[in-house]
Amino acid sequence: MNERIKNLREYLLDKKHHQFRRTPGELGIQNLSDEYKASGFSPVKRSAACFSAMLEKEQPVILPGEKIVFTRTVTEVPEVFTKEEWDAIKTSHYIHEKGYVCNISPDYAYTLTYGLEARKEEISKRLEDAGLTKDQKEFLLSAYSSLVSLQDCIEKYAQYALSVGETEIATTLQAIKCNGATSFREALQLLRILHFSIWEAGNYHNTLGRFDQYMYPYYIRDIENGVLTKEDAFDLLEEFFLVCNKDSDLYPGMQQGDNGQSMVLGGRSMTGEYLFNELSRMCLQASYELELIDPKINIRVDRDTPAEIYELGSQLTKIGLGFPQYSNDDVVIPGLIRKGYAEEDAYNYVVAACWEFIIPGVAMDIPNIDALSLIECVRDCMEQLKDCPDYASFYSLIEKEMANRLDAMCKKHHNIYMIPAPMMSLLMDGTIERAKDISEGGKYNNYGIHGTGIATAADSLAAIKKYYYEEQKVDYSAWMNALTHNFKEEKELQELLRKEAPKMGQDDDYVDLIARDLLNSFDRALQGRINEKGGVYRAGTGTAMYYIFHATELGATPDGRSADEKIPANYSPSLYIKQKGPLSVIKSFAKPDLKNVVNGGPLTLEFDQSVFRNDESVAKLGMLVRTFITLGGHQLQLNTVCKEKLLDAKKHPENYRNLIVRVWGWSGYFVELDECYQDHVINRIEFGL
Amino acid sequence: MNSLNSIQQGTIFSIEEFAVNDGPGIRTTVFLKGCPLHCVWCHNPEGISPEPQYMMKKDETTVCGYRITADELASRLLKNKEIYSLNKGGVTFTGGEPLLQYGFLLNVLRKIKPEIHTAIETSGFASEEVFREVLPLLDLVLFDVKHTDPAIHKKYTGVDNQLIRKNLECLCSSGKDFVIRIPLIPGINDTKENMLAVLDIIRDAKSLQRVEILRYHKMAGAKYSMIGKEYNPPFDPEIPPRVYNVFEDNNINTIVL
Repeated sequence: MNERIKNLREYLLDKKHHQFRRTPGELGIQNLSDEYKASGFSPVKRSAACFSAMLEKEQPVILPGEKIVFTRTVTEVPEVFTKEEWDAIKTSHYIHEKGYVCNISPDYAYTLTYGLEARKEEISKRLEDAGLTKDQKEFLLSAYSSLVSLQDCIEKYAQYALSVGETEIATTLQAIKCNGATSFREALQLLRILHFSIWEAGNYHNTLGRFDQYMYPYYIRDIENGVLTKEDAFDLLEEFFLVCNKDSDLYPGMQQGDNGQSMVLGGRSMTGEYLFNELSRMCLQASYELELIDPKINIRVDRDTPAEIYELGSQLTKIGLGFPQYSNDDVVIPGLIRKGYAEEDAYNYVVAACWEFIIPGVAMDIPNIDALSLIECVRDCMEQLKDCPDYASFYSLIEKEMANRLDAMCKKHHNIYMIPAPMMSLLMDGTIERAKDISEGGKYNNYGIHGTGIATAADSLAAIKKYYYEEQKVDYSAWMNALTHNFKEEKELQELLRKEAPKMGQDDDYVDLIARDLLNSFDRALQGRINEKGGVYRAGTGTAMYYIFHATELGATPDGRSADEKIPANYSPSLYIKQKGPLSVIKSFAKPDLKNVVNGGPLTLEFDQSVFRNDESVAKLGMLVRTFITLGGHQLQLNTVCKEKLLDAKKHPENYRNLIVRVWGWSGYFVELDECYQDHVINRIEFGL
Repeated sequence: MNSLNSIQQGTIFSIEEFAVNDGPGIRTTVFLKGCPLHCVWCHNPEGISPEPQYMMKKDETTVCGYRITADELASRLLKNKEIYSLNKGGVTFTGGEPLLQYGFLLNVLRKIKPEIHTAIETSGFASEEVFREVLPLLDLVLFDVKHTDPAIHKKYTGVDNQLIRKNLECLCSSGKDFVIRIPLIPGINDTKENMLAVLDIIRDAKSLQRVEILRYHKMAGAKYSMIGKEYNPPFDPEIPPRVYNVFEDNNINTIVL
């Protein structure tokens, strides 16, 4: 990190750029929806008009030392519908989250290559088609006007840069205002603008995709032509990473930090080549030096990935950013193909905001549309335990419960409505050809369902199988009393369940195979279901924030968990169990058929910081990750924490403003999290010395 | 104390998976209970007594140490043999002093040896016969050296170092891969003189892999109160030990932890 980057980093961490921010109210654009209603604008036209209004109000700002510009100064995206209009839409439609297109992976490469002017020409040409419907025309015109507004804003920035003597910035901006990028710097600047623009249009959880792949040609050309040194390239790269942290507090998410700026490095190509290049390496190094929460790094690996890459990743884990997260091409790619993705698309997969596997440019999947609580399925069958003569019949009840819940869930996902996204559409393949907004669908329109409480569910079933059916140690009334009264008078039973019963994470086939059954049943229960857009449903092992939601009204569970105890986040062992160690955990969690749960959701391992005192132990962490991948694990995230530090940070947040933790599928600043999320991190079991 | 001679059963107090500081690769470390030494700086005081004992952990009384058969321990260790071989790792037996329960240790080693890379971490305080018998069953020995001076050794560890010296000399000439570990205790063994004396013994050993210098950590006393003991080190735990890396100067691979 050179002085320039160091100073810029400090500037941003001190939030000095917040001084330039204005609210829509201050700028007089808070009531756009009234105007749109009065003018009778169509939804897509409103989106484009709102985008233009925002860009018009953006005040050009060049922060001290900046080379890659564009800073968000308008704090919020105004509503495009009036409250009454939106209420009416909501009553007749299913609205996913905030109603905006989100959590997909744009194709930046195409526009980086051809440039904004060519995109306009592409639209003009498409508009010549006499067979276009009125709606199609309206969409194309909206996309066109979005490009014009964006070019105007770039011009405004360029003029400002000239006026303050920043000629290099001005030259770069003027080049990419019309043309595709011809250098690494231009490519980074245009990427910044495209990424900026989709946030500006109200879209969120906007990922960065396979940055090391689509940026590499620009990088290597500059290096080979001698127009850029590696040091200068690294300097620009670090600045781009910094830039991702500039406006992220304005981005919508469940919690500060949950902003979806994921970046995916490496991966196997269809021809068998492992695509980890010099730029991938530089990305890891930049993250290592900057120690910031964005972009959130993922590495695609497989059984043949060189050990060195795991070591590089582990160096990053060591400093406690909660990433990289790893995904296993050997499992994910066949899993995606199994779900109907074309081979070339499956090989191009990335992660969405957290860990959901999606395809850049072509998938309008909603991988987080809902969550099935696997442990609630078990709990709700408990009363019928007495009517089931054997474990198999009890298990089939649970399968029925899953199917019933999924029936109800899938029925809900009906008549879905999304606010049109012409700017985002420009970054998704085929939208101009189809003359259709991406909110209406893409090549893939699959929905993903998270599966929460898998370990709690598997542990519960293992306990029932063992103590109710096999050993007949615990009778029906004892179970029911214990669960109804939260083990108040059944302390002995609770002790037995907590300390003696088989637990997922201890490399015990007895329970691990139950987990495998549960996940297979979850997948089977979704098979054959087609959503209204023609997409399929995918089962997953992620929880998102449902690990908090689903635990609050769960009550005590048959695994010995008390009502007030949490359930694990994502795909992880129960929080209270006595761990044998990381080897047992990875073996347990690699046993299920993970290609069947390709919606994603990582095993999470927590390590005490003291474990990684030297390079040797860091290399060993890399070996552990590689082992999980070799055993057939699908996804893994690692956290290095120091419990004392976290406890102290709760008491003295002012001393820990930069302390980073992994929450559920993203890294955030610990002191900015709600307490329930803070406590969950503290309560996870860490492996120490 | 017939348990010490039992071949079929032993007493251990922990099996730690993914122990990163006990030899190469991904390893599991088995802690055997009981130690003939009483080092004043011992950071695993619960490993000294050969019998299971009560231990207070976070207001909860637990029993530290349990009996386990050689068969069960071997099968637990063999369960992860693929992971060990995939990562050029294995199993390390430590303690306490693993050679104290030598009958049991030999038995377990024989059951796992052909399939698993094996190591012990030892104080070297064992009879020469035992030491020679165990060597062929090991791929690596982590040999602790505290002090070369017999009187000082006795004063701070409770035992004379004559046997240790003999076993170390045996190890040096055995051709068996080994690592020398020196716990560096402020004011007790962190002298240049002591380091040079250690160097003298090991400098010509061809199979010496490296020297590990383990600096005293002030958290070392944390477990004493858990087993109802007081930690009264006869040195100032706040003073960091001096590091005289005479090994590196003599081209011996050295790591300071």
